[in-house]
Amino acid sequence: MRRCDVTDIGVSLQDRFNRIKSRRQIILALLTLATLASLAMDLQAGPASLGLSDVFAGIIDPASLDLRQRIILWEVRLPDALIALSVGAALGLAGVEVQTILDNPLASPFTLGVSSAAVLGASVAIVLSPSITFLPEAAILPALALVFALGSGLFILAVVRFGGGARETVVLFGIALVFLCNALTAALHYVADADAIQQIVFWTIGNLTRAGWAEVWVVTACFLVILPFSLRHVWVLTLLRGGEAHALSLGINVSRLRTWVILRSSLLTAFAVCFVGAIGFIGLVGPHIARLLLGEDHRFLVPGAALCGALILSLASFLSKALISGVIIPVGILTAVVGVPVLLGLLFRQRRMP
Amino acid sequence: MTRVEVVGVSAGYGKKQALFDVTLPELRSGEILGLLGPNASGKSTLMRCLAREKRAKGRILLNDREQLSIPQTEWHEQVGSMPQAPPAPSALLPTELMWSTARALALDLSDAELAAKIEQVFSRLGLDAVALSPLHTLSGGKRQLVGLALAMIREPSLLLLDEPTAALDLHWRMAVLEMVRKEISGRGGIVVAALHDLDLAARYCDHIAMLDHGRIVVAGSPEEVLTADTLAKVYRVEAQIRKDSDDCLAIDILRPI
Ligand SMILES: Nc1ncnc2c1ncn2[C@@H]1O[C@H](COP(=O)(O)OP(=O)(O)O)[C@@H](O)[C@H]1O
Ligand SMILES: [Mg+2]
Repeated sequence: MRRCDVTDIGVSLQDRFNRIKSRRQIILALLTLATLASLAMDLQAGPASLGLSDVFAGIIDPASLDLRQRIILWEVRLPDALIALSVGAALGLAGVEVQTILDNPLASPFTLGVSSAAVLGASVAIVLSPSITFLPEAAILPALALVFALGSGLFILAVVRFGGGARETVVLFGIALVFLCNALTAALHYVADADAIQQIVFWTIGNLTRAGWAEVWVVTACFLVILPFSLRHVWVLTLLRGGEAHALSLGINVSRLRTWVILRSSLLTAFAVCFVGAIGFIGLVGPHIARLLLGEDHRFLVPGAALCGALILSLASFLSKALISGVIIPVGILTAVVGVPVLLGLLFRQRRMP
Repeated sequence: MTRVEVVGVSAGYGKKQALFDVTLPELRSGEILGLLGPNASGKSTLMRCLAREKRAKGRILLNDREQLSIPQTEWHEQVGSMPQAPPAPSALLPTELMWSTARALALDLSDAELAAKIEQVFSRLGLDAVALSPLHTLSGGKRQLVGLALAMIREPSLLLLDEPTAALDLHWRMAVLEMVRKEISGRGGIVVAALHDLDLAARYCDHIAMLDHGRIVVAGSPEEVLTADTLAKVYRVEAQIRKDSDDCLAIDILRPI
């Protein structure tokens, strides 16, 4: 954060505050542009040759491409690129809210156990899928992952509701849940055959290529339904950064706020990970990058965290195709590879400032 | 005209009772009540009851109205409360904290009015220079002043302060109470402040209530409350009380007993 310049003396607080505000609006605009640029790069990358101009032409007028190109663009590239944006945005939004209400920079939807539960659900599905017949094969895995993830969300909600809702309790139960789910998943590994174990590991890494249009719409709809509720809470979330005692002195029901936020984040995370696997990290690093760029005013931070999440996952998706030509690296491996340098760079840049 | 009545208030945490049948002197426009008492005597608990943060048995009336019957917005327009804990040392800017607080309370101010108001409160409290510095870069005293600014943002007719001067230096300890006396009492408001400092209480308070183990030991004017006997009983110190040059009580604490 920049201190006020010497020239600021005599300038009214409103002007100086407005200057900060406009700077943040510009950063949000730049993030949006970067995300769109990343989307374009992501769309033109891939084993089949389909350049940027073909992509644009094919989006505006599908008939301009031949059948093979059309299928590649509309059935592979677009859904993959858009699921990256929507999952990234969902995890970024979930992460920033959880961090704020638990006042814990290490908190993320993943430390609440939601994604570990999804992994457990997916593992159960993979091990049991030969014996489940009432659901189509492709639906079993996301369905069970979703059910388990939502179940863990309900469990944490119950802890908040009936356990008094203290921050530490929530974090502790979340971590306990992570360990429990991991232990049960390990137990499944123990009984599963090698083929199933490989599938489980592959799912756990996280992968965008399984997604089709239906998944894109579900995750996008979930994000768009929840975003307005988050935006309605931006003032309260901002003042909560001034401490719980202050919020309580204003008559704000902090434990009810916590319940709502955990409900929202669990839903976002459950829907995001059930289709693409446990792409961790975005929910942690997206919000942190947004905080470093935009500060703590949640008017800017909430949309900023969603944008950062979308941008990082989109970049990771691009790199997963572009890094080694002809090979698609699972995107879950690359989120950390992309996110960590960005985060470190920002941290060091901030450290150097006076 | 503002009036505050507190009669027979009891409150606790779970099974543990922290306040027993507390009755305060009736407060009228322009008066300042100091709440004294050793650690854990229930000062903060009583402040939280007055601030409507905590449910209590008994009667707490603001202008002859039961405190809980006053609608939320109206309450927050009239009552400012400063908790004992200063704002957390996060990366939030003091101006953002003030701004979001005013907006969360739905105070009826335009952006320009709110900015002017924040600037005014900050300049009274010597916070202009740090208005846009992250809270974690502020000293404890400055953060406590930000906490006071938050309570002052709505020109309250009842201002509740829980140990407002605990982290402040000699200048601000008095300056804060002078400011509160001018801006709140001077405009007909009422101030209730839990205090640690007996000399400050003697100098600025119209009434003092002495709490011990959740009970009022004695309440009345500073002369009635601040006696060697009371201080020996409540604080377990030997003290000497005298009048200083400007006719204020001065308390010399001699030794613990
Ligand atoms: N949140 C709480 N939960 C349980 N007991 C509390 C809580 N806050 C205060 N108490 C108890 O209530 C009593 C009064 O505390 P408090 O009002 O904070 O005293 P003071 O502000 O005078 O130091 C103490 O015995 C304290 O232990
Ligand atoms: Mg206290």
